[in-house]
Amino acid sequence: MVSEGSVIARGEWHPANSSRSVAATLQLAGGLVVAVGDAAGERHAAAEPEKMTFSPRVGSIPRRIVFPDGSLFETRDNDAIDAYVEKRQGRRSGFVHRMEEFHPRLIVFAGLVMLLAAGIYRYALPALVELAVLLTPPVVPDWMGSGTLATLDRTTLSPSKLPEADRRRIGDGFETLAAKAEGGAGAYTLNFRDGGYIGPNAFALPDGSLILTDQLVELAKGDTDMILGVLGHEIGHVERKHSLRQLYRAAGIAGLIMLIAGDVGSGVEDILTQGGGLLALSYSRAAESEADMRSVELMRAAGRDPAAIARFFERLEEIYGDHGGNSMLSTHPDTPERRRAILDYDAKLRGVTVEKNGPDTSTPGAEGGRQPAKP
Amino acid sequence: MAVADAGRPETVAQFERASFTGRASEYFGIWIVNVLLTIITFGIYSAWAKVRRNRYFYGNTVILGRAFEYHATGKQIFIGRVIVFLFFIGIQIIAAIHPLFVIVTTVLILAALPWLVQRGLRFNARVTSYRNVRFDFVGSVKGAFVAVVLGSFVSFLSLGILAPLASRWLYRYVFGNLRYGDRPFFTEPRVGALYGVWFVPALMVVIGAVICGIVGLAMSGAIMAIVNNADMTEEQMILTFVLGIYLAFFVVFVVYGLAALVYRAGVRNVVFSSTKLDDKHELLSDMSRARYAWIAITNIIVTVLTLGLMRPWAAVRLARYMTAHTAIRIHGDIGEVLSSIESTGAAMSAEYMDMEGIDFGF
Repeated sequence: MVSEGSVIARGEWHPANSSRSVAATLQLAGGLVVAVGDAAGERHAAAEPEKMTFSPRVGSIPRRIVFPDGSLFETRDNDAIDAYVEKRQGRRSGFVHRMEEFHPRLIVFAGLVMLLAAGIYRYALPALVELAVLLTPPVVPDWMGSGTLATLDRTTLSPSKLPEADRRRIGDGFETLAAKAEGGAGAYTLNFRDGGYIGPNAFALPDGSLILTDQLVELAKGDTDMILGVLGHEIGHVERKHSLRQLYRAAGIAGLIMLIAGDVGSGVEDILTQGGGLLALSYSRAAESEADMRSVELMRAAGRDPAAIARFFERLEEIYGDHGGNSMLSTHPDTPERRRAILDYDAKLRGVTVEKNGPDTSTPGAEGGRQPAKP
Repeated sequence: MAVADAGRPETVAQFERASFTGRASEYFGIWIVNVLLTIITFGIYSAWAKVRRNRYFYGNTVILGRAFEYHATGKQIFIGRVIVFLFFIGIQIIAAIHPLFVIVTTVLILAALPWLVQRGLRFNARVTSYRNVRFDFVGSVKGAFVAVVLGSFVSFLSLGILAPLASRWLYRYVFGNLRYGDRPFFTEPRVGALYGVWFVPALMVVIGAVICGIVGLAMSGAIMAIVNNADMTEEQMILTFVLGIYLAFFVVFVVYGLAALVYRAGVRNVVFSSTKLDDKHELLSDMSRARYAWIAITNIIVTVLTLGLMRPWAAVRLARYMTAHTAIRIHGDIGEVLSSIESTGAAMSAEYMDMEGIDFGF
C-alpha cells in the first residue's frame, strides 16, 4: 500500500484551482510520486515524476510540486525536494540556486560586477556607440537633417533678411573651408535663417546642413573670419558625427539604467538618471572642445585666421559681458579654458609656445557654435 | 506549519499580521547573481532575474501561515520586453528622422495608456497566487482612463490640491476590480480620510517652496554682490552660481521626494484599511508615515554609499516593515476559494502582450 512508500517531504496538498488544503506527505511508491493525506492515509494524487513540475528553488521559499491533474503539493522542505530531484536525475539540480547560496564566492561575484560595470561604462558603451555609428546607413543622417530643418523652419526659424552681398561673401568663404573638410565642399550646405528667439547661433545637422542665423552675422560686424571660425566648429561636429553619437550614447545609458532598475530600486534609479544627464553634459563639453580644435585646423588650412573663433567669444563678452548674471545662465564653467585651449592649439600649430597663463581673456558669453541638444 | 488545519482558518475576530521571512544575506546571493548574469548576457537574463526576485519577495510574504507565489515566466517577460523595446526603437528612429512625429506618437501612447494600465494590472494579478488560487483583475479600459489619465490630469491641474480625489479613483479602480479566485475585493476610501493624510505632505511642499524662495532671493542677492565685486574672478563667480543651481535642484528633489513618500504611505494606510475581501474580511495597514519615509530615505543613502552592495539589505528592510504593518481580519470562514481563471494553458500564454512593467508598488 501507499503508506509503505518512502517519504520525500511533508507539506500540504491542494486540489486543482482550490484553496482547500490537507496536510499530506509526498511519497514514492512503485515509480509514482504520490500525495498521501495525513488524516486517513488516502491517495490524493499520483503521477509519474516526468509528468510533474517541480518549481525551481529560490532561496527558501515554499516549493510547488504540480501534478498533471492540476493539484498542488506545497512544502517548505526545500532540501528534501532537492535531494529527490537530484537522485532521480542523477545530477545536481538548480545551478542558479547553488550559485546564489551564501558563500565567500559571492564576494568574487560582487567584485566582478563592479569591474564589469566600470568596464561597460568605460569601454563597452563607447565601443557600442562607435559600432552603431558605423552601422547607421548614411541615409539616416540625411533624413534626420532634412526632418529637423523642416521642423525648425516650421516652428522657430524664418527666411534670412541678410543682404545678398553678405550672403555671397560668407558663402564663398564657407566653400573654401568646406573644401578642406572631410568629404569636400559637396558634403556641406550652408543655410541662412533668421534665428527668431534663438538669437545669434549656428548649428550643424547630421546630414551636413549648417544653419547660420542673421543675428550671428550682425554680431560679427563684418568680421567674416569670425563667422567662418564658428562654421568651422560646426563642420567639426558634422565630421565627428557628434549628434548621432550623443543620441546613441543617451539611448545606451537609458537602456543600461532600465535593465538594472528593478535591482536598484526606484529612488536609486532616479539618481542614476540624473547622474546620467550630468555625465552627458560633460560628454558634450568634450565634443565642443573637439569641434573648437577642428575649427582652428580648418581655418588654418583655408588660409584664414585660425584663432578667429576665439575672437567670437570675445565679441560675445563685449556684448553680453555687462549683463553679468543673465548670460551666465547659458555658460559652461570651462569657457575660459576653452578659449585658452583654442589659442594654445593655434600656437602649437604655428610652432610657437605661449606661456600657460596668458592674458586673462575669459568670456562669460552665450555659447556660440552649439548644435541643438536633440536634433 | 503554523496553521494546522489551513483549509479552514479559525473564526478570529482579531487582525492577523503578515510577516516577511526573507533575509538580507539570502537575498544578497540571489541579487548579485541576478546582476552578474544580467551583465554577462547583455541584459537578456534580466527577465529571468525579475522572476527570481519576485518569487523571492512573494514567496517570503506570509499571511495566515502561507506565502504568496509569483508565476510569471522569464520567457513571458522577455518576449514582452522585446516587443516594448522594438516599439521604442521604432519610435526613436522615426522621431530622429522627423521630430514633429513625436507629437503623433505621444498622442498615440497617451491614447493607449489606459489599455496598457489595464493589461498591466491584469497581468500582475494573474501571475500572483495564494493558497493555490490565482488573483484576477476585471477592470475595464474605460475605468483605467478615469482612474489613471483623468485622475493624474485633475491632480496635476489643481497643483495637487485634488490629489486625494485622484487617489480615490485610482485605488477604487485597482482594488475594486481585484479578485482573489471567485472572491471580490471592495474598497471605499473616504475622501475625508485621504485629505487627512494629504495635509502633512501638502504642508511640506508649501514650506519647501517657501524655503526655496528665500534661498533663491538670498542667492540672487549674493550674485548681485558678487557681480559688483571686481575682486572676484570669473571662475569663482561661475562656480558659485553653478553650486547654487545644484543646491536648488537638490532641495526641490529632496522636499518633493519626501512629501511623495509620506503621501504614499498615508494613502496605503487609508486604502488598505478601507478594503474588504468578500464583503467581510477586513484588511489593515498601519505604517508610521515618518518611519516609512525614514526607511526609504536611509535605504537610498546606504545603497548609494555602498555602490549598490547594500541594496539587498535595503530591499528586505523595506519589505519587512511594510509587510509587518499589513494585516487581515477574517470574519467567519473563508471557505473554499476556487480559481476563476485557468492557471495554465491559453489564458496565460496570451499574456505575452501585457506590460509587466506597470505596477503600483503594492
